[in-house]
Amino acid sequence: MAETILQVQNISKSFGGLKATNGVSFDLHQNEILSIIGPNGAGKSTLFNLITNFYRIDEGDILYKGKSIVGLMPDQICKLGITRTFQVAKPFSGLTIFDNILVGCLSKSATVEEARSKVDGILKMVKLDKKADEMGGRLTTLERKRLELGKALATEPEVLMLDEVMTGLKPHEMEEMMAFIMDLKKRMTIVVVEHVMKVINTISDRVIVLDHGTKIAEGIPQEVMNDPQVIEAYLGRSASHA
Amino acid sequence: MNVKKLINTKTQDGRMFLALGVVTVILLVCCVAPIGIYNKHIIIQTMFYAYMATAWNLMCGYTGRLSLGHSAYIAVAAYTSLILYRSFDLTPWLGMLAGGVLAMALMLLIAFPCFRFGLKGPYFTLASIAVMEITRYLLTSMRELTGGSLGMSLPYVKDDLLMFQFDDKEPYLLIILIFWLAAILLLWKMERTRYYLEAIREDDDAAAALGISVNKNLIKAALLSAFLVALGGTFYVQYYRYVDPTTICGSTMALNLALITIIGGSGTILGPTIGAILVIPISELLRTNLGDKLSGLNLFVYGILLIVMIIYMPKGVISIPGVLKHKLAARSAKEARGEGNG
Repeated sequence: MAETILQVQNISKSFGGLKATNGVSFDLHQNEILSIIGPNGAGKSTLFNLITNFYRIDEGDILYKGKSIVGLMPDQICKLGITRTFQVAKPFSGLTIFDNILVGCLSKSATVEEARSKVDGILKMVKLDKKADEMGGRLTTLERKRLELGKALATEPEVLMLDEVMTGLKPHEMEEMMAFIMDLKKRMTIVVVEHVMKVINTISDRVIVLDHGTKIAEGIPQEVMNDPQVIEAYLGRSASHA
Repeated sequence: MNVKKLINTKTQDGRMFLALGVVTVILLVCCVAPIGIYNKHIIIQTMFYAYMATAWNLMCGYTGRLSLGHSAYIAVAAYTSLILYRSFDLTPWLGMLAGGVLAMALMLLIAFPCFRFGLKGPYFTLASIAVMEITRYLLTSMRELTGGSLGMSLPYVKDDLLMFQFDDKEPYLLIILIFWLAAILLLWKMERTRYYLEAIREDDDAAAALGISVNKNLIKAALLSAFLVALGGTFYVQYYRYVDPTTICGSTMALNLALITIIGGSGTILGPTIGAILVIPISELLRTNLGDKLSGLNLFVYGILLIVMIIYMPKGVISIPGVLKHKLAARSAKEARGEGNG
């Protein structure tokens, strides 16, 4: 088995009386694609926010390459090599697309010049090279998703966490994005939060399923999809017994 | 550094250096030209506001944290250097640095908790105004130290560079020109930080996710901004030879910095300078020509100008060439398509 790069150990988070994440543990192996699925409100995005410390965990530990990253600021976590995207893309609206990517490139570049030299490559990769001078606020949904991905890639992550990058894409765009993500796997480890089953089945090496903040299943996609507990979480009790 | 690139007017840096050169040459010519004391005064005032608005912009324009209380930092430094000079004969050049350090300390006092707990938008602006109000009340009430609301004057000794006092306008003009050049070059050199601040302004979560330390960069910008306007505070005292709490620690001064920057183009290196060059001479002319006939009319015209600017040119005067270029490009693209169809 490939080396473990990230270990999430029994983490919990409550918002008031609501337990958003309840004792979730999993390991992430080098160069795999791990999908996190679950019904709405299952705590998928919260898990992203906890790993990147946009929310502070109440309990548990998160180890990156064997060292705890709990308590580090989001920017420090990014500098270590874990970059996440946001479910609702957050382009820097007042900056050009070029500068949006440039800001990401700065994190691993010694000089602004060096960062600038990397931008074109990434723009081509996410197919925004023709829009380089447009403002970040003037993009279509697909372009926003691509920009979000481009910004994350610009930080040269070792672990890339993608929060619903497929939502709102047309089928052929989705095919394109899937091929792109599978290609990225050669260079990095990827965690995706996704709703589209076809995507999950195609790209994932492993899947974990969350429901009400608890991990209810983990394994290869086909196995997990047939798990009665998973079917129940998605479709209700009678469906799983049928 | 690539000198060729800097003198190439096709690049942004090249155009900026061209502008710096032109302004410097014009001001140097003004120093020797017989243009009258009043005109020189207007030029000094314009450059003073160009410098101050550049310093304000470094924090507020780039980070989007709108401070309408920057006069607090100006006042702290102005009074510090003045009191040190009156009480201990300390040269204002050193008093200015002491004032700058105090202004930074005051800024840290407010910036740290505000940024740490994510205060932004109107809440941050209100906090900044509160600091200004508190500072003004303190300056007014500490009568023995500051002269209270009567203000405090700078005893004139002699024409002396060491004591930052001159008989003529020219030395002041040169000094404020140097201040301004230094501020612009500093801002230009901080290219990486400028990108960080802009990213933070647009979305601080997205910026943090890309490895940008939000608080560190915000505080850095705030401290630098406070220090720079503080130096301007001492210049103000040395030039006018008098301060009182309302003028130097009031909202007029603070608002002026914001208005000039917004009119010129906030979040750009030269925007505040363009704003000052447009606003200060116009408001002086309005004041001298209309002020005695219909007092207040100058402010009315000023207000109208501002409203028009914000509605039609929210990105400031500096955005005009870009907007025109965009429109021309769109039109030529349309024409090209039209020909293709025809």
